[in-house]
Amino acid sequence: MIKLLAKLLRVLNSETDPGQISLGLCFAMIVGLTPLLSLHNLLMLLLVFILRVNISAFLLGLALFTGIAYLLDPLFHLLGLAVLTAPSLESFWASLYQSVWWRLEYFNNSIVMGSLVFSVSVFVPVLLLSNLLIRRYRQHVLAWVQKTRIMQMFKASKLYQTYETFSSWRPG
Amino acid sequence: MTKWIRWWGLGAFVVFAVTLGCVWIFFVDGWVKGLIEGAGTEAVGAKVELDAADLSLFPAGLLLTRLQVTNPKTPMTNAVEIAKVTMGLDGLNLLRRKVIVEEMALEGVRLGTPRAISGVVKPVKETTTGEKGMFGISLPSLEVPDVKNILEKEDLETIRLIETLKTDMQREKETWESRLKELPGKSQVAQYKERIKNLKKAGKGGLEGVLGGVGEVQSLKQDIEQEIESLKGAKKEFEDKVVLLRTRFEQIKTAPQRDIQHLKAKYNLSPQGLANMSQTLLGSEIGSWVREGAVWYERAKPFLEGAQASGGGEAGPQVYKPLRGKGVDVHFKEAHPLPDFLIRLTKVSVSLDFGDVAGTIHNVTNDQPTLGQPTTFAFSGEQLKGVESVTLKGALNHVVPADAKDQLTVQAKGYELTNLVLSKDDKWPVTLASGMGDMNINADLKGQALTAHGTGNLRSLHISAGKDGDTNPLTKSLSNAVTGVSQLSLQADVQGTLEQHDVTLSSDLDRILQDAAGKMVNELAAKFGTELQTAISAKIAEPMQQLKNSLSGFEGMAGELTERVTQHNDILKSLLEKSLPTKELKGLPGGLKLPF
Repeated sequence: MIKLLAKLLRVLNSETDPGQISLGLCFAMIVGLTPLLSLHNLLMLLLVFILRVNISAFLLGLALFTGIAYLLDPLFHLLGLAVLTAPSLESFWASLYQSVWWRLEYFNNSIVMGSLVFSVSVFVPVLLLSNLLIRRYRQHVLAWVQKTRIMQMFKASKLYQTYETFSSWRPG
Repeated sequence: MTKWIRWWGLGAFVVFAVTLGCVWIFFVDGWVKGLIEGAGTEAVGAKVELDAADLSLFPAGLLLTRLQVTNPKTPMTNAVEIAKVTMGLDGLNLLRRKVIVEEMALEGVRLGTPRAISGVVKPVKETTTGEKGMFGISLPSLEVPDVKNILEKEDLETIRLIETLKTDMQREKETWESRLKELPGKSQVAQYKERIKNLKKAGKGGLEGVLGGVGEVQSLKQDIEQEIESLKGAKKEFEDKVVLLRTRFEQIKTAPQRDIQHLKAKYNLSPQGLANMSQTLLGSEIGSWVREGAVWYERAKPFLEGAQASGGGEAGPQVYKPLRGKGVDVHFKEAHPLPDFLIRLTKVSVSLDFGDVAGTIHNVTNDQPTLGQPTTFAFSGEQLKGVESVTLKGALNHVVPADAKDQLTVQAKGYELTNLVLSKDDKWPVTLASGMGDMNINADLKGQALTAHGTGNLRSLHISAGKDGDTNPLTKSLSNAVTGVSQLSLQADVQGTLEQHDVTLSSDLDRILQDAAGKMVNELAAKFGTELQTAISAKIAEPMQQLKNSLSGFEGMAGELTERVTQHNDILKSLLEKSLPTKELKGLPGGLKLPF
């Protein structure tokens, strides 16, 4: 756990491209907000592995968004139900319903559909926003954080020592 | 482009996916086992256990080893134990979340096997319905009860009616005595005579006296007429009351017959008990079979009717099962609809105590409307121990849930009957020691309406009945008749619902017993009736005479009322014909007429 946190701190403070961190977070958002055992999450996992996204950001984001998903389930249910029962889309969903792969995807479940529609819809805005925030953080906050007493105390902690050791193994 | 791709990630993903697959394969058997045990336990209401489940992917199939289904009523016994269940699964439909089994084979099926540990899940509520009726026989008595004692302790309807009438008569008498005092009588008649006399005097006082008397005569006439009406009304009311009392008195004369019939039935001196002895001996037994069948049917019913909650309908997408945190599944119409669960063919071989019975079950599913076909089954066994042949066929048709029709036909030939206790009654135990029987049973359940008809031909019967040293002539006679029976035909009918049904049973036994003991019981009943009639007549003679006297007393009151009416009529007539000053009125100016 300490190593993971240390690595994350290193990721945030390293030279790693903000776009890579943001993309990791956004993939985590899709996997975290939608039910874990869904077919599309296997595709997300493949993308996380083969694209140069930040895996630590993905894992941290996964933990964060999985927690949020429980709070948002009622909203996802309403959204998914509205989408699935929309008369204009009925024939489309009915055609997907005949496919084995789409049935395996379990798209006809209100929470699967609602959470997928939601996370895909906010994917680009969250990507851009997180990208912006990371850049701002590095420009304006990082130097100030380094000087605070808490950070000074933190740098003296075991966690930070681990972080330093970890950083020295593989500079970012 | 290569800046964004890390090729080692593809390898890592493959390793990750393979690892995940291996873990799934490693744990899937346990997961399937748990799933079957959990769902089965919930459905049966007692433990369903499985030694092992083995899921194979290529080709898709499932092997279950030693499936035990606890009997919920006796948790230390398995209702069914199956040594091996093999089934081939439709892999493609499995990906669609549909369990479609083309063929399933059940091997080593045994019923009622003992369990090492209790399979109870929730406490079993004992039902004792029918036990009392099964062994309690109401035989006609052959001892004439002491009539004197009966009359002392029994609440006879005749006596009750006499007492009530007596009380009512007394109350009416007091009421009418009081009213007679209030009604116009001799004193009023005397007053009217006096007023008429005064009028005559006034008439002799010239024209003024005549004119003043006209008003007085009018008033007098109205007073007399009002009292006549009052007396007539009272007389009518009184006569009605007396008629009612007389009717009740006459009714009491027939009450002793009703008391005698009631007492005969109460002291079992009616031959009717013999008329339906086969119902008494066998009805409850058949009723318990029906109840047992009903319990298992009710258990299977939710599975059969699961169809109503699933499947895409004709009228657009269907939404069901809202579960917290799980969302809801929206189902759309399928091009080739199939139920979520279907076993097209099940081959079963059941090892019973009397041999092996084999059969097939077609279309086991929880969604018959989607499949469009009912579940059918057929089992048969021949040359079994204790029965020459047995066949069992049926259909559970819930294709249209609102018009469900279930049918069952059972045929058994050469069924050996041994030591079947028909009555445990202390007075008259009956046991069917041995015999052979052929039986046909047809049962239909349409919606809630249960109809079943069964016929049985029993032959080579050896029946033991009665106790050694029995001195009761009736039970001795019955025992002689029953033990001489070597063959019987039975007809049984069950009608009602699964919860509430009536079993009616008839057989040759009824006639045989009637012939054997009916005459004896009838003679005894007649003797008892005569004795009761004599005793009751003696007991009610005096109270009846008192009632008669009381009724005569009412005749005196009637005469009094009639006399008063006559007196009033006479005084009115006297007023109109004799007491008026008509001569003086003839000289009135203008031909003036009096208003009477």
